[in-house]
Amino acid sequence: MTNGEINLRALSELDLDAVTAIDEKIGGKYRPDEWETRLMYYLRRDPDALVGAEVDGELVGFMLGDVRAGEFGMEEPAGWIEVLGVDPDHRGKDIGGRMLQKMFRNFRERGAKSVRTLVDAESQAPLLGFFGKSGFSETPVRTLEQTL
Amino acid sequence: MIHNAEVSYIPKKYHEAVCNWRDLYLPDYDLLMNNWDRFFPKDRPFQLCAYRSCNGCAVIEAGDNKGDPKYTRAAQMSEPQADTLLKAVKAQASTEFGSIQQHQLTLARAQDEQDQFWILRMMAEELRHGYQMFSLLLDDDWKSVSSHSGEDMVEEILAMRTGTHVLGAFNVDFDSFMDSIVFCAFIDRVGKYQLSMQKISSYQPMAQSMPPMLTEEAFHLAAGVVPLRRWVQKAAKDGDALITMPMIQRTINKWFPRALDMFGDERGGGTFVKFGFKPMKNAEAAGQYRDEVAQVIRDLNVRFVRARVPELSRKDAQRIVDEKEPGHGFDPEELLYVPDVKFFRRRGPHAYQQNDIDGEPIENKSEFQRRIRGYLSDVYAAGRDFGGYLKLIDRIAAGELTPPEAVPMLPNLSRVGGVCPCSKAVRWVNGNGNGEPADPGEG
Ligand SMILES: CC(C)(COP(=O)(O)OP(=O)(O)OC[C@H]1O[C@@H](n2cnc3c(N)ncnc32)[C@H](O)[C@@H]1OP(=O)(O)O)[C@@H](O)C(=O)NCCC(=O)NCCS
Ligand SMILES: [Fe+2]
Ligand SMILES: [Fe+2]
Repeated sequence: MTNGEINLRALSELDLDAVTAIDEKIGGKYRPDEWETRLMYYLRRDPDALVGAEVDGELVGFMLGDVRAGEFGMEEPAGWIEVLGVDPDHRGKDIGGRMLQKMFRNFRERGAKSVRTLVDAESQAPLLGFFGKSGFSETPVRTLEQTL
Repeated sequence: MIHNAEVSYIPKKYHEAVCNWRDLYLPDYDLLMNNWDRFFPKDRPFQLCAYRSCNGCAVIEAGDNKGDPKYTRAAQMSEPQADTLLKAVKAQASTEFGSIQQHQLTLARAQDEQDQFWILRMMAEELRHGYQMFSLLLDDDWKSVSSHSGEDMVEEILAMRTGTHVLGAFNVDFDSFMDSIVFCAFIDRVGKYQLSMQKISSYQPMAQSMPPMLTEEAFHLAAGVVPLRRWVQKAAKDGDALITMPMIQRTINKWFPRALDMFGDERGGGTFVKFGFKPMKNAEAAGQYRDEVAQVIRDLNVRFVRARVPELSRKDAQRIVDEKEPGHGFDPEELLYVPDVKFFRRRGPHAYQQNDIDGEPIENKSEFQRRIRGYLSDVYAAGRDFGGYLKLIDRIAAGELTPPEAVPMLPNLSRVGGVCPCSKAVRWVNGNGNGEPADPGEG
């Protein structure tokens, strides 16, 4: 099993440490509590819809999201990509792309007609590039905000 | 969310019986419903019903009849097939109701409200799992092909209590909330294996029942592992933490052997494969389970080490755990470990052997009894389950019994008085232990 092949599978509670480690590698911070809370949220909703990518038996990427309806007054169910990460040592091998395709299949099976995500154009510019290349385009929906 | 699944209900009389059972053994159900949105915002509300997944393979995936169409009705099976399947359904249903009775004992003792509501939700979902098994028993005509009737089995299961359930793990009283959490992480994990295997069942209603149950089971495992991770972190950082690593280890020692027993005799399981009900025999499934438990324990140890020595990298922490490396400000003996598969067993080739936690035999009986107590909590060692075990060990040592003869003697099944919520009848539950083999994994 050391042929470098990419294997996609659902995530489970056993992946907590590996997901935390990928995030740590990307952002430089060890944040186990945050990832426990986050993964727990998705695990109890629809564990099969979570995607992990393995290379040689090691988790190197993850993508979390779910299908929701009613967001921003848009009634039809849409898939939402919410959190993702690819191990910096494994970038550019289409791992993000493959996980995205798997996510699309899961969303379709669950009745979604479209897929959406939110990206901070300033702090997450690379993600904007990734989603752009993957066929996403900007919508007219704008986030408005004021301090309370 | 349960996707692509059909919803159904069992006949009113039995639905009400389950609700009565719930009022008795899950009295906090309303509390859960009233607080659902607080703890599980955006999650689909809980519903007491059966789900059947609409997807799934239409042909038999394992065994002698591989490639034939799956059975959609009981009448399409032979009598031995039907009996084998019913045995598994009964054992499965018994685990679902049994675990609620166990969790209820210690639910109120949770220190953390979130942990408590996770367990409460899990209990409600176990009730649904039991309901799901009832739908299999009640939606088909089992009488036509077996000497058992689904209706009788439902009544029998609803009358079971801790001490009269089919599998040993469900006859052990919980002593503390830690039991609840370790049980989810270890015993529900066996449930996950049984459910995953039965996803391929040649009986289609069984196969289609599995995916929604597995979705819920994923949460049950996490509801065990996440609090455990937080406890080991606290134990690492705070010398006065309420929960210590040795306490967790003793609880693991209590449950892990029962978990292995749940797979059935390591020499068996062939009948289930032959009939196309499961893809793996007992030993193979138990082996995979053991490896997964080792992963959980390693994960907890790494979490402990990184909390204790924050400057360590993940790779260093993993190495220290794997090699039990000393010199990092804590005793590597504090780390958790997986007991040997030969430790404290009551089924299979190692049943009632006098082995220590590493699987090494201890010849002398008193020495063995002293040592095994040391691996367990005092409360558990003083309780009825362990007492019953020691009595059997005594009788084996006195030459009154052989270990294989002792195997069916626990659980110590006895007359259950009164409270069957649907019939109010007094029933005998597998009275003398020599009736049907109680193990779904055997055969
Ligand atoms: C964005 C990310 C997921 C891409 O993963 P990856 O496995 O390297 O991407 P892939 O190899 O699958 O690339 C898919 C496509 O996106 C493009 N792409 C990837 N990163 C890109 C970038 N930064 N800018 C522009 N395009 C990019 C690739 O070129 C490829 O296009 P192609 O098919 O035309 O060649 C990864 O870089 C990552 O995890 N970034 C950090 C994410 C993060 O911050 N997460 C935390 C907050 S949610
Ligand atoms: Fe269950
Ligand atoms: Fe469960």
